Amino acid sequence: MSHIFASGKTFILPILLLVFISCVKDHSLEITPYTQGSIIISYSHKVKGETLKFDTLRYSTSTGNRYQVSDLQYFTSRISLHSLKGKWHDIKMDDGIHYTDARDSYSCSWWVKDLLPPESFDSVAFIFGLDALQNTTGRFPDPPERDMFWPDILGGGYHSMKMNLKWQNDTMPQSMPFMFHLGTGQVYASGIVNPDSIIGYVPNSFRISLPIGLDLTAGGYHQVILEMNVDRWFDGQNAFEFARYPSGMMQNQEAMFRAIRNGKKVFTVKITN
Amino acid sequence: MKREDSIFSSPGFRYVAFLLLFSITILILTSSCTKKTEPAAPFRATPYTIQIPLHFPQELNIPADNPMTVEGIALGRFLFYDGRLSGRPGPDSLMSCATCHIQAHSFVCGIDHPDFTGGHPHGLTGIQTSHFMLPMINLVWTNHGYLWNGLVSADNPQPALRNIEDVVRLVIELPSEICGDTSRTKAMIGQIKGYPELFYKAFGSSTVTEKNIARAIAQFVRTLISADSKFDRYLLGKIQLSNSELNGYVLFMTEQGGDCFHCHGGDGNPLFTTNLFYNNGKDSVFTDPFDRFSITGSAADLGAYKAPTLRNLVFTAPYMHDGRFKTIDEVLDFYNAGLVWSPSISPLMHHIATGGVRLTPSQKADLKAFLLTFTDSTFITNPAFSRPSAMPDE
Ligand code: HEC
Ligand code: HEC
Repeated sequence: MSHIFASGKTFILPILLLVFISCVKDHSLEITPYTQGSIIISYSHKVKGETLKFDTLRYSTSTGNRYQVSDLQYFTSRISLHSLKGKWHDIKMDDGIHYTDARDSYSCSWWVKDLLPPESFDSVAFIFGLDALQNTTGRFPDPPERDMFWPDILGGGYHSMKMNLKWQNDTMPQSMPFMFHLGTGQVYASGIVNPDSIIGYVPNSFRISLPIGLDLTAGGYHQVILEMNVDRWFDGQNAFEFARYPSGMMQNQEAMFRAIRNGKKVFTVKITN
Repeated sequence: MKREDSIFSSPGFRYVAFLLLFSITILILTSSCTKKTEPAAPFRATPYTIQIPLHFPQELNIPADNPMTVEGIALGRFLFYDGRLSGRPGPDSLMSCATCHIQAHSFVCGIDHPDFTGGHPHGLTGIQTSHFMLPMINLVWTNHGYLWNGLVSADNPQPALRNIEDVVRLVIELPSEICGDTSRTKAMIGQIKGYPELFYKAFGSSTVTEKNIARAIAQFVRTLISADSKFDRYLLGKIQLSNSELNGYVLFMTEQGGDCFHCHGGDGNPLFTTNLFYNNGKDSVFTDPFDRFSITGSAADLGAYKAPTLRNLVFTAPYMHDGRFKTIDEVLDFYNAGLVWSPSISPLMHHIATGGVRLTPSQKADLKAFLLTFTDSTFITNPAFSRPSAMPDE
């Protein structure tokens, strides 16, 4: 028997070494080679070029209403990048859905863990709100996404956006709340807004596509900054008058439609290569 | 012998022997580098898993250093109900959680409490609590802070104000509650026959510590789950609501109706609260030094409080942080026509423009009928939540 162990001895050193290395590796950082690219999608919020400040009645619309923003929360989904080779690359992480709360800087930066091919990309596209197929009741049982839920009787799923505002014009003695909320719209048979007469729903989420110059040929990390220009929700081709919707937007498809037409132009994009 | 020799010296055998030796070495070394060898565990409490009801949030607010165990919960239940938690044995100076948090009232003291006039509790020395009570329902899902102003919260810079464990210490120390000190409490509990053994079973040490008292009570409080109201059963498709309740449901869930869901949840959030803080338009002057503003310092939070759960509303009168409304009807009259504007009113109170939601009397009745579908009688009769039939020394 002794000769077995004798011959084994010659193995001991390499074995020890191997095991030692495998131990150390457990506790050290894995380094992925930079053959592929990765992106961080950042969300920033501006009013007429200036970084959005909350809770201060300092902004005004083209029709002369002053307003302040108290909360700004929204979903973007089906985010994808179009490469010069002619292919769309869908972001797979988190099903391509991201929730942003403009007050919470953590949620304004989405480090996408997908590895993208080393190519050049010429546009970024996404759906504002949840894609109709993904907008299903119960998808998010936990906050903060949960608190975006849209009542089942009004179509279910989730709000695309909750922008809570206060506004005031010269004839008003004090500011008044306005809930600029987007989500599934309803079609009412009688024209009377009564949930019993709903005959159809309108998803109201919409696609935005923006040109970019994103070069991942050398791999590495890059930032795609999606900038929401909040003022454009009100000052686009359809001026948005708060006074016109005293009972809110959730049950008013006309208001929602008007907002969406403007919404298609609210985002701009910047790349830091 | 010859045969044996030939096997041992064959290359095949050497290879097998090498593999064997190699694997044994790896096994020994890897196990030594992944975990330190521990002596045989002296005690093992039985892990307790919360069964998350359908539609409820998946994320539970359970601190990593206080996992739930069957023994911990059992001990916590004794302490929750044991008046000697006050650290004082005299019959006049007994106080525990259950002195104020009474199961029959969904763990508030109730508006008809014999000692706490109008439902406003006071501590052992007679000092009133700064606010009226909050029910203890589904607190394992509270994620933005406990108490009306959210003082006790995971993001509080002070580590001693982060979770239910810390509320226990506050209760023992606050002048408006036990007005005692934790060393007296732990000494008292440690002297009572039966407790050291229960502490051992729960935490592996029979020494009664402040930390383990808090841990056990917090574990018990986290089991207080309500998920069996009429509305829950409706969501599960087990029963139908009446016409009046359904009308109320629509009012609750629609912007042009009562619009309650933005703050109090609903079909997408069965907790019936977002657990967030709002100024819901009761006043224009704010004098309470303990509102949400006292925590955040932001002017937008003046007069703001946590939106409480609407579950078991029928048992939890009086209402609001200052108990100003004695009945559900008074609350509904307020939302209907009694709103008061202030610069910090929540932007979600958009009905302020008309002073309230302006429902007709029959709509109001429907909304109330719907609120009553949140009643969960099994919660207030569940024997697992009730006073134990005998204390450890009985
Ligand atoms: C003297 C009466 C009294 C006693 C005794 C008492 N509480 Fe309370 N409890 C209150 C009041 C009043 C509030 C609301 C206080 C506030 O938020 O300002 C409250 C609130 C709470 C909350 C916060 C609930 C929420 O939704 O945020 C928890 C948790 C709690 N108590 C736990 C306990 C525990 C555990 C004990 C026993 C160790 C206890 N309480 C003993 C009166 C009492
Ligand atoms: C802007 C958010 C908001 C909206 C909208 C809202 N509430 Fe409230 N609700 C609150 C807050 C915050 C409190 C606690 C306020 C306090 O104690 O000062 C509260 C308290 C209550 C209470 C008392 C609960 C208790 O245990 O004391 C009831 C009942 C209630 N709301 C019902 C409703 C109903 C019904 C509606 C719709 C008509 C509604 N609320 C709409 C935020 C809101």
